[in-house]
Amino acid sequence: MGAYGMDGYTTGGRGHDDVFPGMGSQVYADKQLVVSRTTSPDGLSFAGEIDATNSHAVGDAISSAQLPDKDIHVEVASLIFCDISGIRAFVSAAEALPKGRRLLLHGMPAQLETVIKVVGWNRMPSLVVCKCEGD
Amino acid sequence: MGMTFKQPVEEFRHEALLYAGMQDFLAGTIPFVRGGVEAGEPVLVVESASKIALLRAELGSDAGSVVFADMADVGANPARIIPAWRDFVRRHRAEGRRLRGIGEPIWNGRTPLELVECQRHESLLNTAFATGDPWWLLCPYDTEAMDPSVIDEARRSHPYVTDGTSFRTSDDYRGLDACSAPFDVPLPTPGSGMQELVFGAGSLGDVRGLAGRFAADAGLGPSRIANLVLAVNEVATNSVVHGGGKGWFRIWRDTGALSCEVRDTGRIDRPLVDRELSEDTVGPRGLWLANQLCDLVQIRSLPEGNAVRLHMWLKPAAGRSAAHHHGIDSIL
Repeated sequence: MGAYGMDGYTTGGRGHDDVFPGMGSQVYADKQLVVSRTTSPDGLSFAGEIDATNSHAVGDAISSAQLPDKDIHVEVASLIFCDISGIRAFVSAAEALPKGRRLLLHGMPAQLETVIKVVGWNRMPSLVVCKCEGD
Repeated sequence: MGMTFKQPVEEFRHEALLYAGMQDFLAGTIPFVRGGVEAGEPVLVVESASKIALLRAELGSDAGSVVFADMADVGANPARIIPAWRDFVRRHRAEGRRLRGIGEPIWNGRTPLELVECQRHESLLNTAFATGDPWWLLCPYDTEAMDPSVIDEARRSHPYVTDGTSFRTSDDYRGLDACSAPFDVPLPTPGSGMQELVFGAGSLGDVRGLAGRFAADAGLGPSRIANLVLAVNEVATNSVVHGGGKGWFRIWRDTGALSCEVRDTGRIDRPLVDRELSEDTVGPRGLWLANQLCDLVQIRSLPEGNAVRLHMWLKPAAGRSAAHHHGIDSIL
């Protein structure tokens, strides 16, 4: 079905270089996840796998990355796996932002988007799944 | 005066309609639907496409007052049926009206694994609507097509039984407590080629890896692989977080299915845990999600702990492959 067809899902994601040229320093790393600061746009890039063992890193990285006081762009195209606790962590981080600021997810794998809809978290005004050029 | 399909119900009435052949099916269901339409009650019919066509033709202009849904879409995985009925009840009860429904989850062609879960579903309907919303659910059973044991079980899972003209309480009904009790019907022995591993908090990735490799080898498409891996991960995470800190995972192929199982030493104490999504955003969602992602989920509360089996059919039957996506849509 077109709205969130899952047939386009491939594991592994894309390289970040095309989409996020401003890749910067690492703000978090463990054996299955690397989070890097990006500058153009301002935000973070998540690569690897998020599950119950490291989903705390989502909120930690977002709050500690000293991001400018505007919308936060998060690149997730290289997120091979994200469990429910990880999605919940993105939702919580979006909810914790001051009013008017949003968390924009770029490169969301279709399968993850499906999960967000299944658990009903697609109605959060502060969490936006971007479908812009390049996603 | 005796009971008829014209009577309004004052609480949930879960009734098996035992019919023999298509004429009998229509003789039982048409007066039931008309009784609802004439009383201004919303009516939802969840049936096979062929029976829906028959009902539409027979109802004529009254069909316009009835909502039809294909059971192959809504109930391919029978654990998705209660959420669909609850959605229907919630939507219309706000208007203060009584409701009617027809649901036939068991048809000739259900596999033995599906049949057991359909029968569990029928029992759990009593639990799900025990709070008393006044609506009438009629569940047709084809006595000509079904094994007599299926009809016997229908008498145990339904408080009321009718043939369309005479109405009676079922002497064999197992009662609400037994319907809600932990489910411990034995599971079949896994097929050959099984692989297994013990997992804990640090090895969820190993469980995902094994599930993903098996799913790819079995020929599942990318989105179904991703669905299975996520479902397995969430069920295994439940074991780590709520079920004693570790669990046992095993995966195997049977005829027509890729199947896996997570066991732990926890205890599931909410009978509807896999069919209701709590409003609480931090509540456990793993088993509910597994039902949205997998073709069939079997949950057992055994003396030694929980067992959860997840099944993906390798060659979806007609209606099944599409059913997966429609199932999610209809619930949303």
